[in-house]
Amino acid sequence: MSAGLEQLAAALGPESVFVHEALAVEGAQLEASLRPSSGEALAVTLRLLSEHGLSALVRGAGTRIATANAPCRARVLLETQGLSEAALIDAEEGVARFAAGARLESLREALAGSGWELPLDPPGDASTLGGTLAAAAQGPRFGSPRDVVLGLGVVLASGERIRCGGRVVKNVTGYDLAKLFVGSFGTLGVIEWAWLRLRPAPEATHTCVAALEPGVAGDAAALVAARLPTVRAAAVADAALLPDALAVASRVLIVELAGDAAAIDRDAEALSSRYGAVPTEPAALEALRTAQGAGPLRVRVAALPSALPAAAEVLRSGGALVLAYPARGLLWARFRLSGPEDERSAERALRAATLAARAAGGSYLLEAAPLAARQGREVFAGAASTLALERAVKHQYDPAGILNPGRFVGGL
Amino acid sequence: MIELIAALREIVGEAAVLSRPEDLLVYEADGLTLHGALPSAVVLPSDKLQVAQLVRACRAHGVPFVPRGAGTGLSGGAIALEQGVVIECSRLNRILRVDPENRIAVVQPGVVNADLSKAVAPHGLFYAPDPSSQLACTLGGNAAENAGGPHTLKYGTTTNHVLALELVLPDGEIVRLGSPVGVPPGYDLVGAVVGSEGTLGIVTELTVRLSPMPERVETLLGIFGDVVSACRAVGAIIASGLVPAALEIVDRRTIAAVEASVYAAGLPTDAGAVLLVELDGPALAVARQVERVRAHCLAAGAREVSVARDAEERQRFWRARKGAFGAMGRLAPDLYVHDAVVPRSKLPEILERVCEIGDRHRLRLSNVFHAGDGNLHPNISFDRRDPDELRRVTEAGAEILRVCVEAGGVISGEHGIGIEKREYMRLLFSDADLAAMCRLRAAFDPEHVCNPGKIFPSTRFCMESDPKARGYERVELA
Repeated sequence: MSAGLEQLAAALGPESVFVHEALAVEGAQLEASLRPSSGEALAVTLRLLSEHGLSALVRGAGTRIATANAPCRARVLLETQGLSEAALIDAEEGVARFAAGARLESLREALAGSGWELPLDPPGDASTLGGTLAAAAQGPRFGSPRDVVLGLGVVLASGERIRCGGRVVKNVTGYDLAKLFVGSFGTLGVIEWAWLRLRPAPEATHTCVAALEPGVAGDAAALVAARLPTVRAAAVADAALLPDALAVASRVLIVELAGDAAAIDRDAEALSSRYGAVPTEPAALEALRTAQGAGPLRVRVAALPSALPAAAEVLRSGGALVLAYPARGLLWARFRLSGPEDERSAERALRAATLAARAAGGSYLLEAAPLAARQGREVFAGAASTLALERAVKHQYDPAGILNPGRFVGGL
Repeated sequence: MIELIAALREIVGEAAVLSRPEDLLVYEADGLTLHGALPSAVVLPSDKLQVAQLVRACRAHGVPFVPRGAGTGLSGGAIALEQGVVIECSRLNRILRVDPENRIAVVQPGVVNADLSKAVAPHGLFYAPDPSSQLACTLGGNAAENAGGPHTLKYGTTTNHVLALELVLPDGEIVRLGSPVGVPPGYDLVGAVVGSEGTLGIVTELTVRLSPMPERVETLLGIFGDVVSACRAVGAIIASGLVPAALEIVDRRTIAAVEASVYAAGLPTDAGAVLLVELDGPALAVARQVERVRAHCLAAGAREVSVARDAEERQRFWRARKGAFGAMGRLAPDLYVHDAVVPRSKLPEILERVCEIGDRHRLRLSNVFHAGDGNLHPNISFDRRDPDELRRVTEAGAEILRVCVEAGGVISGEHGIGIEKREYMRLLFSDADLAAMCRLRAAFDPEHVCNPGKIFPSTRFCMESDPKARGYERVELA
C-alpha cells in the first residue's frame, strides 16, 4: 500500500477505505476504493489525494459510469454514496437541501405528501443526487438540473469545502459557480450537498398515447402537441423501444399533461381530436425513462427543435431506434450491439451520430458503449471550440488533475 | 494615456471616442449615484471586431476596461475604476435573428430589453426577464447582472433565458459559449458568465430563449391593513402550490409617495400594504386560480381584493408598483434602492426588523418588493449633502444586509455586488468560497484588466491590492 493510501486509511478509518488487489473500472486498474461518509471526510480524502498526487475516478452510484470518456489515469475509486445528511425540506418555501449521496428514489419518498415534487427524473432511480447533477442528467419531464439547483456544497481537489449559491430562489451574489459544477462530470470538484428548487405537485395529471405518422407532417404535429400549455412531458418513440401496451403504431406520441384539471381536460381533448390520442397509464412515463436510459450502445443528440426530425431520420437509416423530446431538442438513439467486442456496431453508431449532428447543426454524446469502443476516443462531440478556456478552468480548480482525469470534454 | 486614446481613435474613429472631461462626467456613475469614478475615455464600438481590438489596445497599454450597457445598474458595476476605459455597447444594438419556430432570438448586447419583447410579439412570443428599467436597460447589461424583475417568480431570471453567448475575452480573443439548444458543449460557461458583472469579458452577442405569451393574464390587487398580513397571504399562496407570474408588495409609506405623485393609482392611503398578484396561463386555469388567490388574501386579512377589469386597470394597478421609484424622487434628492433576498417565510419578521432599523437610524425608509421571491427592496430617501444622514444610510444598509444573511438570505437578488456590496461578501462567503470564485476569474482574466475592483472584498482577493490605496474609492458629496 502506498504512503498516501496508508494515510487515508488512518484518517478515514477502515470502514471507508477498501484496498483491492486490482479492481478494474472503466479500464483503470484501481488500488483502493474510498467511501467517505461525511463532508469532512471527503475534504480530508481530497486533500490527501492531492498531496500524494493520487488521481481518482469519482462516481455516485455508478449508473452513468460509462457516460464519459475513459479515464486517462486513475489510482483509486472515490464513491460519494456514503455522503449523507438529514434532508431539510421547507414545504412552505418549496426548497430542500439533500446530501449528494442520497438516491433519487429516496428523495422522492422524502417529498411524498409534502405538496412538492423533485424536478429531476433521469433514468435510474438508484442514481445519486450528486451523480445526477454532475452528469446534468435529465429525463422526460424536467429539463436540465442547472435550473433546479439553488446552491451547492462542493469539495475542491485541494480539499477546500466551499459553498456556492444559496437557498433562496433569486441570487446574484458573486459568481454563480454552481452552474460550473453541474454537468462537469466531477472534474472540477466533488458535490457534497445541494439546495434544490422544488416544483409544486400538480393538481392533476393525464397521460395519453397516439399513433404518429412518420414524415414531416407527423414531426410537425408532435412539436405542436409538445407545446400545449399543460404539457409536462412529450415524446416521440419508435414502437420497438416501448412495452406492447404503448406500441399502438410503429411511431408513437406519448404526452403527459399536468396542472390545473380544467386546463388539462381542454388539452387532452385537443390531443384526442387532432391526433386520436387515447388515455393511458401514468406508467407510460416510466416506460419512457427506461427507453431513454437502456441499451448498451446509444447516443444522445441535441439540436434545435426544427432540426431534430432530420437528425432522427439519419439515425434511423443508420439502424437506430429513436426516442425524441421534440420541444426540448433532445433525442436518444439506440443501436444494436452483438456483444462487448462488437466494435463495428459502435463505429457505425458513431458515424450515424456524427452525420445526424451535422445534418441538424447540433451535437452528440455517446452515452453508452463498450469500453473498448470508447477508449482513445472522444464521446462528447460538437465540443470545444473553447477548449483552451475550458482547460484554464480545469487547471484552476484541479491543478494536479486528480479528479476524473480525462473523463470530460476534450480529455479534461 | 494620450497614446492609448490615439490608438482607440484609430480603431473606432474620432467621433466614437469620448475623452473630454465634460463628456466623461456622464459616465462617472451608473444607477448607483453614491459612488463615482471618472473613466479615462469612453469608446463606442460598432462591431465585435472593434470590441476585440479595443480590448487588446487597453491591455497593451496596461489600462483596464469596463463594459457598459445603458448604465442603469444599481451596484456601481458599470463605472470604471483605476482610470479605466469604458467600452459602451449601445451601438451593438441589432436584433440579428428571430427564430419563432425554435423560440429563440439572436441579439447584440445593446438591444433594449423591452424592444426585444416588442419585436417578437407578432409571433406570440416574449422575452421573460423584465427588470423595472426594461425600457432603458440593455440585454448585455442584463446578462452581466443576471437581471430579474417582477415576473421572475414564475419565469426565472436572465440566467434561465440565455442559451449561448459570444464573448470577447480579456485577451481579445472572441469565443462562442453554450449552444442554442441549451446543452453546453463543455463546462456551462454561459452559466458562469451570466451574473459575472462584466468581469469575465465583454458579451458581443446573445442567443436567448423566447417564451410563448400566456393565453390569459389576470391581475389582482389586495388591500391589507398591514404589511405582515400581506406577507402571510404570499406565504399561503406559495405554500398552496400556486406559481403566480408576479407577487409584489407595496408598503404604506410607498403608497403615500405614489399617491402624492404623478403615478397616483387611486390606492387607499390608509392601507398598510397592497399586494399585487399576476396570474397567467391557460384561461381555464387562470380563472380558477384567481378565486384561490382571492380566498388566500381574504383569509390572511385582506380588507378588499379586486381584479383588474381590463388592460387599462391592470396598468393602473402596476403603476403603483412600477412608479414607486419615480415617486420617491419627490421625497428627497437621493434614493438608495437596496436589494437583498430572504426565505419567503421569513418576510414578515424581516420586514419588521428592516423598518425598525430605518426608524432607529432616523431614515425615511419604505418598501416595495418582489414578495414571491423573497426579494426585498428597502428604499431609503435621503440627502447626500447631509453627511450625518449619509452615514446613517450606510450604517442602516449594512445592518439590513446582516439581518437578511442571518435569516438564511443573500445580499443581492438582482442588482449585483459591484462596488456597492463587495465589502459585505464576507457576511455570506468564507475565504475559501471567495477564493473559489477567484479561480474562475483567473481562468478568464488572469491579469485583472476586465472591470477590476468589483464583486470581491478589497483586501487580498484575486490579487487585487487595496483599492483605497489606489485612490479610486471615493463617495461623491456634491
